[in-house]
Amino acid sequence: MNKEKVCSTGIEELDMQMSGGYPVGSTILVTGCSGSGKTTLCMQYLFDGARKNERGVFFTITEPLFKLTKNVEGFSYYDNKLIESGMVNIIDLRIISERLGLDTEKYSVEDAGSLLDILKDIANELDVKRLVIDSITALCYRLQTREMIRDFIFKLGTSLAMMNCTTLLTSEVPPQTYKFSQYEIEEFISDGILFLGDIDRRGDLIRTLQVVKMRGSAHSRTKFAMNISAERGIELMPLLKSSDFDSVLQQKVQSSLRSMDRNRERVLI
Amino acid sequence: MVDAVIEGLKERISVAIKVNQSVGIQVPENRHQDLLQALFSFMNTDKNEVWTFVTASNTYKNISENFKKIYEDKNIKFIDCISRSSGISTLEKECNYIESPTMLEKIILKIMNIFKDIEHDVEKFLVIDSLSSLVIYNDSEIVREFVSVLMNKARSYNIHIVTILIEEEVDTHKLLQMNDKIVVLRDSFIS
Repeated sequence: MNKEKVCSTGIEELDMQMSGGYPVGSTILVTGCSGSGKTTLCMQYLFDGARKNERGVFFTITEPLFKLTKNVEGFSYYDNKLIESGMVNIIDLRIISERLGLDTEKYSVEDAGSLLDILKDIANELDVKRLVIDSITALCYRLQTREMIRDFIFKLGTSLAMMNCTTLLTSEVPPQTYKFSQYEIEEFISDGILFLGDIDRRGDLIRTLQVVKMRGSAHSRTKFAMNISAERGIELMPLLKSSDFDSVLQQKVQSSLRSMDRNRERVLI
Repeated sequence: MVDAVIEGLKERISVAIKVNQSVGIQVPENRHQDLLQALFSFMNTDKNEVWTFVTASNTYKNISENFKKIYEDKNIKFIDCISRSSGISTLEKECNYIESPTMLEKIILKIMNIFKDIEHDVEKFLVIDSLSSLVIYNDSEIVREFVSVLMNKARSYNIHIVTILIEEEVDTHKLLQMNDKIVVLRDSFIS
């Protein structure tokens, strides 16, 4: 990994937190629950790269192309010309699987290997500098055993490390959990982890983003409030610190209420 | 009597804001509308002056019904923090809406985005109406932090800031302390 060079994230505030961007050549796990903004963050990264003359490819396995395109079309960073010119490529891995004659729902070891080869070939042929796989969770879901998943993830890690591009892997986790991946292996092949979560403030969910790990970069670990809007895509602002105080207080109140309930039950008995 | 209070207020705001970066105004509930009238009248039609008005006390619809005649030719951007959370569906194009007054970081982002797009040589002003309304929806500690962050940002972008506080609604002292100047409007006089 070339530690001196960085690859801008497409989000000004995030670049500032990581001394300019992701270290070139690194693999970053973008983890969060459904609706946390993973796909938007990845797309913003690809379109930003395309504007800087860095070709990108987005491999999707969770959403059909038309649906994915429809969802990003509304953002100001989206530019159809960049898609038409081949600077941003969106590829449905399920279609490739079908063309390879693979079972699209369940992969064998060989299937996974072929898919990985195809992925590498496409990235090399297009000479991409920015790569996204959305999502590693859905990809691994098609593998049948834990050993196969582990083996596949390590092979993927090795392949990505050899490619000359900076990769974002999205990872699905259940809501309100501080966990980075479904299979708990994905983080070991990653050089960086971006954790997209949310906090509950009086019943409203506020999106958050935190850089948990970023090898080769002096980065901040501050928790940010994340806003997604059509005009500006993803924007960050340091989360007001009293939010944590609020949720700790809430937990304390809930726990003391539970203990009061228990005591009351005892008295009644 | 009302006119005299409004004129008095206009003068006090004018003097305070010229000298200070941030002005906190404490007002009794029954004088709140007079204060808004004074503020909207004080704003200039000059294009070299931009105001952003954040409302958490009244809906934008309500403000426009009551004061549009006073402010319509002035350069004001509105941010409404309560219409959406109150389930009011009539949304006006000229206003920015925030889903909920609990989304304080989003309010800061919206404010800063408005000012970022404005040229450097234009005078920038921000009104927060009101801190006491924000405290209804948030813990007072987080509202203090919100004000502190906002003031720091305002200073670095050279934005004059006016924060309003309704005296009956909260313990007023802590929230106004951060201002350079505090104007207190009582029922019949200004101190």
